[in-house]
Amino acid sequence: MSTRARYIRHVKVSERHGAGEWTAERLSSLVLIPLALWGLWSAWSISGAGYDGALDWFRSPVNAVLLGLTLLISIWHMNMGLKVIVDDYIHKPSSRTTLLVLIGALCLLLAAAGVFFIVRLALGSAPLPAGLGA
Amino acid sequence: MSSSPLPGDASNDPTTDQTGRFVRQPNGRVRPLSPHLQIWRFHVTMWGSILNRFAAGALSVGSLFVFAWLAAAALGPDAYAAYAGFMGSPLGLLIWFGITLAAAYHLTAGIRHLVWDAGHGLTPKAAEMWTWVSFIAAALIAVGFWIALFGSGRIVL
Repeated sequence: MSTRARYIRHVKVSERHGAGEWTAERLSSLVLIPLALWGLWSAWSISGAGYDGALDWFRSPVNAVLLGLTLLISIWHMNMGLKVIVDDYIHKPSSRTTLLVLIGALCLLLAAAGVFFIVRLALGSAPLPAGLGA
Repeated sequence: MSSSPLPGDASNDPTTDQTGRFVRQPNGRVRPLSPHLQIWRFHVTMWGSILNRFAAGALSVGSLFVFAWLAAAALGPDAYAAYAGFMGSPLGLLIWFGITLAAAYHLTAGIRHLVWDAGHGLTPKAAEMWTWVSFIAAALIAVGFWIALFGSGRIVL
């Protein structure tokens, strides 16, 4: 499996998935910069606004879409970051795999439930758990 | 100045070195000894790095509180009032402030890393300068945000 090493501008090109992970980490950080500033602004508008104020905020499609994007991209970013931490400190392969699977499952759960909540709030659905189909 | 050891120079020959700068690895190979944590000279970039990872971990926990807020909104007025009540207590506000500070520092440290990744600010002096900038900017963002929240009366204790 000795494929010839490839070089771009005298820098060796990653043979496996390391370079992809590196790029994904930077790309997600870059996108999260404006989203974090928007999040700060949103926290400012929702603070002290109460339940009705929060509902009004969710009804705006711009807010709902940006919150959904922030949720998904931060969970992606968090999953990559936690994986790096686990890789750094957990050396026993079986423990590492177990932890990474648990973290991945939790991230998927948070992402799916989060999108579900945001869509319902944006559409003005009835409060959960009543009227799940409403 | 040659960087490779001269033949017969005991002080630079890993196989005969007596100074402890080389160790025999478990696989039998002789390798230079890594510097231990205690002998690194202090640089502010060390704290920048440690605090950034700490902030990342804190944000992972903190994101659960933001998620709970989202869930409370979806669960209706009673759940929302209960959660807002708890998170409006001194302990809850402390948690929100911690999340703000961790997010602000992770943001400024992340920008610092992107600057470094672009190949800028990598001399020791510039790296330390960028680290101080990221500390101060994060503190200003987080403290300023909360002064504004209390000052505008949006949040009262």
